[in-house]
Amino acid sequence: MSAALTLDQLSVALKRGRGKPIAVLDDINLTVNAGEMTALVGESGSGKTIASLGVIRLLPRSAEVSGRVMLAGTDLTALTESEMRRVRGRDIGMVFQNPLSALNPTTRVGNQIAEVYRLHTGETDRAARARALDLLGEVGIPDPSDRLDDYPHQFSGGMRQRVMIAMALACSPKLLIADEPTTGLDLLVARQILALLSRLRREHRMGVLFITHDLSIVEEHADQVHVLYAGKSVEWGTARSFFAQPRHPYSQALLGAVPRLGQTRLASIPGNLPDPETRPPGCRFAPRCAFREPACETAYPAPETTGGTMFACRRGREINPAAMLDAVLDDPAPIAAPSRGTALEVTKLGVDYERTATSFFQGMIGRKDKMRALSDISFSLRQGECLGIVGQSGSGKSTLGRAVLQMISYQGHVILNGEAFDTMPRQQRKLARRRIQVVFQDPKESMNPRMRIGDIVAEPLKLAGMRGQRARMAQAAALLDRVGLSERMLNLFPGSVSGGQAQRIAIARALATNPGIIVLDEPTSSLDVSTQALLLNLLKDLARQDGLSYMLISHDIAAVSYMADRIAVLNGGAMVEFGTAQDVLTRPTNAYTRELIAASPHFRTNQPGGPTETMEFNPSTVQPSAV
Amino acid sequence: MLRMIANRLATAILSLAILITIVFFMTHATPGGPAFSILGQKATPQAVQQLNARLGLAAPLWQQYLLWWWHLLQGRLGYSYLLNRPVTQLVGDYMMNTLALYVGAILLSLVLSIGIGLVQGVTYGRWPARLIGALQLSLYALPTFFVGTMFILYFGVKWGVLPTGGITNLRLEQPGLLDYGRHLALPVLTIGLLGVSGLSRYFGTSVHEELGKDYVRTALAKGLTFRAVLFKHVLRNALRPLVTILGLAFPGIFAGSVLVETVFNYPGLGYLLWRSALSQDYPVISAIVLLIGALTVIGNLLADLVNGLLDPRERYE
Repeated sequence: MSAALTLDQLSVALKRGRGKPIAVLDDINLTVNAGEMTALVGESGSGKTIASLGVIRLLPRSAEVSGRVMLAGTDLTALTESEMRRVRGRDIGMVFQNPLSALNPTTRVGNQIAEVYRLHTGETDRAARARALDLLGEVGIPDPSDRLDDYPHQFSGGMRQRVMIAMALACSPKLLIADEPTTGLDLLVARQILALLSRLRREHRMGVLFITHDLSIVEEHADQVHVLYAGKSVEWGTARSFFAQPRHPYSQALLGAVPRLGQTRLASIPGNLPDPETRPPGCRFAPRCAFREPACETAYPAPETTGGTMFACRRGREINPAAMLDAVLDDPAPIAAPSRGTALEVTKLGVDYERTATSFFQGMIGRKDKMRALSDISFSLRQGECLGIVGQSGSGKSTLGRAVLQMISYQGHVILNGEAFDTMPRQQRKLARRRIQVVFQDPKESMNPRMRIGDIVAEPLKLAGMRGQRARMAQAAALLDRVGLSERMLNLFPGSVSGGQAQRIAIARALATNPGIIVLDEPTSSLDVSTQALLLNLLKDLARQDGLSYMLISHDIAAVSYMADRIAVLNGGAMVEFGTAQDVLTRPTNAYTRELIAASPHFRTNQPGGPTETMEFNPSTVQPSAV
Repeated sequence: MLRMIANRLATAILSLAILITIVFFMTHATPGGPAFSILGQKATPQAVQQLNARLGLAAPLWQQYLLWWWHLLQGRLGYSYLLNRPVTQLVGDYMMNTLALYVGAILLSLVLSIGIGLVQGVTYGRWPARLIGALQLSLYALPTFFVGTMFILYFGVKWGVLPTGGITNLRLEQPGLLDYGRHLALPVLTIGLLGVSGLSRYFGTSVHEELGKDYVRTALAKGLTFRAVLFKHVLRNALRPLVTILGLAFPGIFAGSVLVETVFNYPGLGYLLWRSALSQDYPVISAIVLLIGALTVIGNLLADLVNGLLDPRERYE
C-alpha cells in the first residue's frame, strides 16, 4: 500500500497582529494511503482546517510552518510557489464546506470545472468542456449536458457539492482533501456524498483526507481515523480498531455525545476548548477530563499503542467506554410536575406560499402562483412533551413551525388552551403569542450584534411591559443562570460568545416570558457534537423541571430520537408518519421514514457493505420539495 | 433575462411619469406664477392676466396638466421666456456638449477607479492602501470650483497647454474634433477626478470583500495564480456594486457640472440651468430638470441591465 500523503511532524504557528506567533498545530504525523480514506476529526478550533491548508500551502503569509508534507514522494514544503501551483488542482483536489460560497456565483459550473483541467493539461476549450461533461456525469448529476451551463445557485446543496467534487477530480489527483464537505447538508444527502467519495477513491485509487467534526458520519467509510484536540493528535490508527475500542477519553466523549436510539443521557464534555494562547502545558484535554491525574497537567503523555491505534493518554489502557460514560454522565433533573394536559392542538393546517409575482405586469393584475407548502397537518402537543418534526430541507417542517408561531398565514386552526388563534380578539392573540417562543438554528444571526446580551435576554420582558432596567437585568441574570451561564455575560455583545453559549442565550430569551411551548428550529445543527450534547441535555432538564413542551424541528433524526416523545415525519409538505418515537424509529411504516432512519449512523447495522452502501443516489422516495 | 428587462423598463417608465408630474406641479405652483417673472417690473395685474391668457396659464390646473403631457409627448416644451427660442432646440444644442462631458468624465473615473480600487483592495491594511485612502479623502475634500480654477491657472495660464474656456477656438476657421477635445480636457478632468475619490474607495472595499470569500480560496486551490484569480474571478463579482452606484451618479455629476461648466464657461446644461435660474426662465429650467431626471432613470436602468449581465442571480425576479 503506497502512501498518497504523509505528514511528518507538521506544525503551524500563526501570527495575530504584531504578537508572537502562536502554535495552532503541533507535530502532526498522518498518512493517507492511495485508494483509502483517512478521517481527520476534531471540533471547531482543533486545527483541522489549518492542517489541510498547510498541505496545499494556502495559509496566510504570516504563518510559520515546519515539518514535511510528502505527496507521493515529493516534499511539498520544499517546492517553490510556482511549482506548488502546479501541484494544486493537478495532484491535490480540494472540496470545501458550503459549496454555495466556495463556487464562483457568476461563472457557469461547466466553465469552473473546465478551467482547472485546461490550466493543468493545456487542452483546448472544447476538450475541457467535454471533460467537464464527463465529470458531471461521473459524480451523479442527472442530465449533465443540460446542467453544464447552469450557475451554482441553480443547484441544490447536495448537487453543488457534487459539482465541487467534479472540479476537484478534473485532473485525476493523487489526493483529494475534503474539508467538512457534508456540514450543512441533510443527513440523507451527506451520506450520498460520502458514498460517492468512497466509490471515487476506489475507482481512481485516490487518497482521501476527509476532515470533519462528526465521527459518526465517517464510521463506515474511513480506513484510518485521526483525532485532533486543540492542535495535538490525541488518537489515531485504523478505523476498525478505533471504533471497536476508542482509548482516549476525548475520543470516547466525542462518540458518546452522538445521540443514539434509546439513550437516556448524552455524554457531554464540561468546559470549553482552550484558546491557542492559553493551552495547558500538559495534556491539553486534562482540564476537561474526568480521568485526569496530577501528572496529566504537567507533561504531555507519550503516545502508546494497542492493537491498531495509537493514543496519547496516560490512562488510555485502563479506562473503557462504559466507565467513561458513567464518569461523564450528569444526572438528569427530576421531573417536577408530571402533567399530561394538552398544550397545543393543530387541526387541518395548510399553508400556501404565494410566489412573488414573476413580472411587473403580473404584479399589476394581481396574478400570483400558489405553491402548496403544507397540507392537512393535524396533531396535538401535550404538556411537558417533546414532539419531533423530522424531514429534509424543503419538506415544510420550518413552515409548520412558523405557522404555529403565527408568523405566516395559514388555513386550519392552531388551538392554544382550547381557543383557536384565528378566532381570538386581537389583544388576546397578542398575549397568547407570548406563550409560544422560538429558538432558531443560527443563534448569532438571530441576535442584534449591537445589543448587549442582557438587553437581548430582557427584550421580551420589556415588550411584555416590565418596567425598570435594574429589575429587568436581575431577571435576565436569573434566566442566564437557568441555562447555565454566568451573569457576567450580561454586558457582553453577541460577537464575543461561542456558538454554544449563543444558543443558550437564545434559550434564555425564549424562556423570558415563561412560555408553555418552545419551537426549536434546528437548534443544534450549527454546533459541534459535544456542544450539541450539552445543549440537548439542558433542554431536556428544562422540560422536566417546568413542564415545557417542545416542537423540535430537525433533519437530524438522531437528535430527535434522543429528545422526542413522539415524532412526525414530513415529506413534500405532508405528514407521512406520526407516532411515538419508539414506534416510528423501530417500526416505520413509510418508505421515506425508513430511508431517513437508514441514513442515520446509529440505527443501522454496523457491517460495512450493509444496506446503506447501495443507497448512493435514490431520489425515488424523496418527493420534490414544495418550496 | 427578457422578463427582467421588461420589468425594469416598466419601473423606469413609471418613475419618469412620476418625475414629470412632480416637475409640472413644482413649476406651476411657484408664487405669482411664471407671468410675474416674465413681466418683471411691468407686472400690473392687468398685464399678468393678459399674459396668463396668452400662455394658457389661466385654465384650471388639471387642464394645464393634461395639456403639458400632450405637448410633452409631441416633444414641445414651450418657449424660453428669455431667449424666445423653442426650449427643445435650445436644450438640444447644449445637451450634446453636456453628454460629451459626462461620457468623458464617467469613462475617466471608471478607468481610474478600477485601477486604484484593485491596488487598494489587494493591499488592504498595508501602506499602499493606506496612502491611497489618505489621497482619496483629501481629494474628496477639495471643492469643485477650486480644482477647476487651479487647472485653469496651471494648464491654461501658467503652462498655456490647454484652452481654459468655451467649446471651440473662435480664431480657427474649421475647429475640428481635436480642438473640441482640447476644450473638453479640463472640464472632463475636473468632473472625472471628483468622482474618482468616492468610486475608487467604494470599489477598493468591494475588491477586498470579494477577496475574503470562499470561492477565491477554491480558485487558488485549483492552482491559478493570484493575478488570474483577481482578473478572472474577483473583478466581475466586485464590479456589481460599482455599477449600481455609477447608475445613480447622474444627479451628483450634474450638480458638479453646474459649477464646473460655469467656471470653464462651457456651454452645457449646467451652464444653461445657471443662467435660466437667474432669470427664472421656467420652461428651460423644467426641461433641464426633466432631462437630468430622465438621464438618471436611464442610468439606473442601464446599471440594472449591466448587473444582470454580470451576475446571473440578478436575472431572475
